Amino acid sequence: MSPTEKRTTDFGFQEVPIDEKASRVADVFHSVAARYDVMNDLMSMGIHRLWKRLTIERAGVRPGHHVLDIAGGTGDLTLKFSRLVGPRGKVVLADINASMLKVGRDKLMDNGVGGNVEYVQANAENLPFPDNSFDCITIAFGLRNVTDKDAALRSMARVLKPGGRLLVLEFSKPNNPLLSKAYDEYSFRLLPKMGEMVAGDGESYRYLAESIRMHPDQETLKGMIEAAGLDRVEYTNLTGGIVALHRGIKL
Amino acid sequence: MLVTPTLLLAGCERTLNALLARDPAAPSRLAALAGSRLLVRLEQPHLELIIHYHYAGLDLMRSDGTDETDVDAVVELTPETFSEWLSGASIERLMFDGKLAVRGRIQLLEATRDLLFDLDIDWESELARWLGDMPAHSLAEGLRRAARWGLRAKDELMQDVSEYVFEEARLLPGRQQRNVLREYLTDLEIATDRLEARFQRLQRTLAKQQTTTQESHP
Repeated sequence: MSPTEKRTTDFGFQEVPIDEKASRVADVFHSVAARYDVMNDLMSMGIHRLWKRLTIERAGVRPGHHVLDIAGGTGDLTLKFSRLVGPRGKVVLADINASMLKVGRDKLMDNGVGGNVEYVQANAENLPFPDNSFDCITIAFGLRNVTDKDAALRSMARVLKPGGRLLVLEFSKPNNPLLSKAYDEYSFRLLPKMGEMVAGDGESYRYLAESIRMHPDQETLKGMIEAAGLDRVEYTNLTGGIVALHRGIKL
Repeated sequence: MLVTPTLLLAGCERTLNALLARDPAAPSRLAALAGSRLLVRLEQPHLELIIHYHYAGLDLMRSDGTDETDVDAVVELTPETFSEWLSGASIERLMFDGKLAVRGRIQLLEATRDLLFDLDIDWESELARWLGDMPAHSLAEGLRRAARWGLRAKDELMQDVSEYVFEEARLLPGRQQRNVLREYLTDLEIATDRLEARFQRLQRTLAKQQTTTQESHP
């Protein structure tokens, strides 16, 4: 594809100029930040906690590790990681969106997390960290909002230490046609209504459903992670493939 | 299927942390343990579990091929050993019996048992959080009085029933009466045995006499 052709990118089902996606995604998250946790629990019926728990188990984080939680949003993973790495370790909560970062920081402080967590407003495509600096990088429900996913994955591979793990938790393609049908009905009809009622913003949740459909499926994402320079890439389907957890190791 | 053990662990972790949060002795014990990691290997069902302690409680995680050098202690045990340990058997005895394999900081195991099984939950302070100090104290006092009354009533009821059954209705013998009866029965048993022996001796004597008579008068 020539550079002139690649001037637009997906924003849900819409095509938008490439420079515009980041700001439009930012608007979506500014709008939902305050009610983000409530909506997550409501939309996933609490299952998102299990998905995140599984991500933490697979991360293999130990005391003293340096962990980067990209698109960490309201800090669900960071909270647990900060306990696991202990005072000798460090967790960096990075998000492109200032509102989400603020909500995350407040929540973590309320939970008594302080010393070993840093907050960084950063774009995943150009991570502002030196090469080989983290033992583990996680990005949970964030990759699909990134404009250039390949650049983001390359950037993550760069800052990961050799032997470090990258975990990508993201919506994916259900492997059962019946589940897929029910999931479509749920996310295109019910989800925007729930968003309208609870967060007062149906459009943002319509974007959420659309962006999930535009996100690459399990095998494609696996290929993208491998292309970014990670090895031993494997994925696990969760809840029938609605979500997939990809894990790659930098050798 | 994949998330079922994770779901169970999440439930256990939540319950344990909620209980620990209500135990006045837990914070100091947790502070001493914070940052420690214990790897528990259960043989049947095969399960590898990491217990990670932090200042506010503990994290339970399935082990994902954890290296033993990454944890402070490793415990390998069978379900029988586990239940013996929970019921209070000393770790040293289990180790000498060869039922329990522990490597690393063994004290961590004792500390874990102290933390989880010496729970002394302060329900009144939890009630106070919901109802306020005074109502919670009144309610707790009421509950304690009710519990004391219940215990007393139970003791009295047991005594009344036993008195009625032994003394008034005479449905069952008392312990002393039963002992006396048993002594009588033992005496009777001995006497019957003696009588039987005497009969047998008499029988033998008679048989001998009969044989002698037959031999003298052929």
